[in-house]
Amino acid sequence: MGDATPQGSTRRVRTRPVGSGRGARTGRPGEARRRRGPDRSGWTLLLLAAPGLVWFAVFAYGPMAGLVVAFKDFNIRQGIFGSPWNGLQNFTYFLESGDAWTIVRNTLFLNVLFMAASLGTGLVLALMLNEIRAQRFKRFAQSSVFFPYFVSPIVISIILQVVLAGVGGRSGALNGMLGVFDLPRVSWYTTPGPWPWILTVVKMWQLGGYMSIIFLAAITSIPEEVYEAGMIDGASRARMARSITTPLLAPTAAILIVLSVGRIFFGDFATIYAIVGDNGTLFPTTDVIDTYVFRSLRTVGDFGTTAAIGLFQSVVGFVFVTAAVFVQRRLSKEGSIL
Amino acid sequence: MTAQLTEPIVGARVDHVSRRAPRHNRPEAFTVVSYLVVSVFGLFCLVPMWMIIAGSFTAESQLALTGYSLWPHPFSLAAYRMLFSGSALLDGYLATLFITSVGTVLSLSCTASLAWAIARRMPGISRPLTVITYIPMLFTGGLVPLYLLVTQVLGLQNSWFAVILPGMMAPFLVFIAVSFFRQLPEEIIDSARVDGAGEMRIFFQIVLPLSKPVLAVIALFYGVTYWNEWFNALLFLSDQNKFPLQLMLQNLIANVANAATLPGSTAAQAAAPIYQLRLAMTVLTVAPIMFAYPFAQRYFVKGLTLGATKG
Repeated sequence: MGDATPQGSTRRVRTRPVGSGRGARTGRPGEARRRRGPDRSGWTLLLLAAPGLVWFAVFAYGPMAGLVVAFKDFNIRQGIFGSPWNGLQNFTYFLESGDAWTIVRNTLFLNVLFMAASLGTGLVLALMLNEIRAQRFKRFAQSSVFFPYFVSPIVISIILQVVLAGVGGRSGALNGMLGVFDLPRVSWYTTPGPWPWILTVVKMWQLGGYMSIIFLAAITSIPEEVYEAGMIDGASRARMARSITTPLLAPTAAILIVLSVGRIFFGDFATIYAIVGDNGTLFPTTDVIDTYVFRSLRTVGDFGTTAAIGLFQSVVGFVFVTAAVFVQRRLSKEGSIL
Repeated sequence: MTAQLTEPIVGARVDHVSRRAPRHNRPEAFTVVSYLVVSVFGLFCLVPMWMIIAGSFTAESQLALTGYSLWPHPFSLAAYRMLFSGSALLDGYLATLFITSVGTVLSLSCTASLAWAIARRMPGISRPLTVITYIPMLFTGGLVPLYLLVTQVLGLQNSWFAVILPGMMAPFLVFIAVSFFRQLPEEIIDSARVDGAGEMRIFFQIVLPLSKPVLAVIALFYGVTYWNEWFNALLFLSDQNKFPLQLMLQNLIANVANAATLPGSTAAQAAAPIYQLRLAMTVLTVAPIMFAYPFAQRYFVKGLTLGATKG
C-alpha cells in the first residue's frame, strides 16, 4: 500500500480526468493531462484488458491475416505462409463453378424472407401482447413465445423431422393432418420447392417472440400522454395500436431492419445446416454461402477455394455492414450499437 | 431514467401501459383478437416441444406408424432405459458441462474486464480498445483461416478448448457491459479513489459487486450459447468420447446407424427404438434449459431491454 499515501492519491485525482469523460464527452480534459501515454492506472487498465485483447488478436485478427490462403495453392505440408501463390485462380474457379449464383441468390432471398417474417411477427405480437391485461396470462404468454429462442438448432431439426417426416419420410404431424383432410402425403425432405417457406416458418417460431420483446421494450418508453390524447379523441384500442403505437415503433423497426440488412450476406449457418445437413436434394433452394463453404471444407478439403469464397463473402458483407452502421448512426443520434 | 433502463420490463412498467384502457367494461374487438392470437402463437411455440416430450415416452411401434405423438400411449420407457444404461450419456453431459462452465467463466471475466477498461474513458486507452473490439463486428476472417488456426497453429484438435475458444468473446456483449458500467454512479468510484484504492481494487471490490445484474445477463447469454454449441464441436472433435450432448444428438440424426454408438444397443441393435431414442436424447439435451428457463428468463429480457432502449 506504499502508493496509497494521501499525497499520491490526490495527485492522481488531479491528473486524471475523473468523471469528466463520462456523461459529458465535451470535457476532454486537456487542462488536466500533459502526458500522452498511459500512466500507472493506465497500465493497470491495460492489464485488465489484456486477456480480452489477446483473444481478439488471436481469434479475431489472426484469421484475418490467414485470409492470404485465398490467394494460395494451399497444402498442409508447406503451411499457410509457405504455400505457393496462385493469384486469383481460387476466385475464378469458384465463379466459374456455377454454384456461385445459386448460393448468393439463396442467401439474399432467404435472409429477406427471414427478416420480413420475424420482424412482422414480432411487431404484431408486441402490439397484441400490449393489449393483454391479465398479468398472469401475459407473463405466461411472453415466456412461451420467447422460449424457442433458446432451443438449439439441432433440437429444431429434430422437431422438424417429427413434424414433417416421421419414420419413413411420409408420416409426421403435418402429413397426419393432411391425411385427415384426405390430401396426399408429401415427402418433404425430397421436395426442395417449399423449403424457403418452411425455413421461414422456423424463423418465425425461433425469433418472433424475441423480436416482440424488443418491441415491447420500445412500447414501454412511449409517453402516456399520447394515449390519453388518443382516448379523449375517442380512438378505439385497435385505432391506437395502428395510429399511435405502430408509427412510434418505426425507429426501432428501422434499426432492426438496418442491422439485418447489414448481415444479409451471412447465412444462418447453424439452423440451415442442422436442418438440411448434407441432403443434396434440398440444395437448390436452401444452400447458402455459409453452408457451401462448410461443406466444401469438410468434403473437398480445398482450402484455397473455400477461403476465396469466404473472403468474397467477408468483403461484400463488410460493405453491407458498414453501410448499415452508417445508416443506423444517422437514425439513432446516440450512435449506439443497438 | 437509469432506474427505468435496468428495470425488468415484464413487470410494473408494462402493466402501467396496458391499464390505460378505456373505462367502459365491454372488451373491444381488438382486445379479444389479441387474446386469441397470442394464445394460438403461444401454443404454436410450445406444442412442438410437447410432441418431443410425449414422443419420447411413446412406444416405438406407435411412432413408426405416425411419426409423432401428442400423448404417450402406449407408454414406454425403453429409450430412456437404454440411454441411462451406459456411460455415453454421462460422457456427453460431462463434456457439455465442462464446455459450458469453463467457457462461461472465461468469457465473463474477459468480457467484464475489457468492458471496464473501455468504460473508464481513459485517453489513449479506451478509444483504441473500442475500435479493436468493434472491427470484428464488421469484418471476419471466415471459417477456413479459423479452422487452420485451431488445427494447424494451435493444435487444439480433439480438445474441448477448441470448442470454447473460437466463440469466447462476443463484441456485442462487451458493449452491453460498457453501457452498464457507464451508468454506475461516479461518486462511489471517485470516493474510493480518494481513499487510495487502485484501479484493480476499484474494479474487483466496487464495480463488480455493483454490476451483478448485468454480469448475470452476460453469463446467461454465454452459458446458453455454449450449451447449444455444436458447430465447433463438429469441426474440431473427432473422438466420440469427447462429444458434447448436441453433437451426440446430431450424430443420431445424421446417421441412423450411429445408434450403435449408444450404450446397450450393440446386441439388440435390430430391436433398438431408434426414433424414440432420438426424441429421448433431445429431451435430455433441452431439459436443463427448460428447467432453468423460468428463473433465467427475466434476465434475458433485461439484457435485451438494456440493448434496445439505448437505440
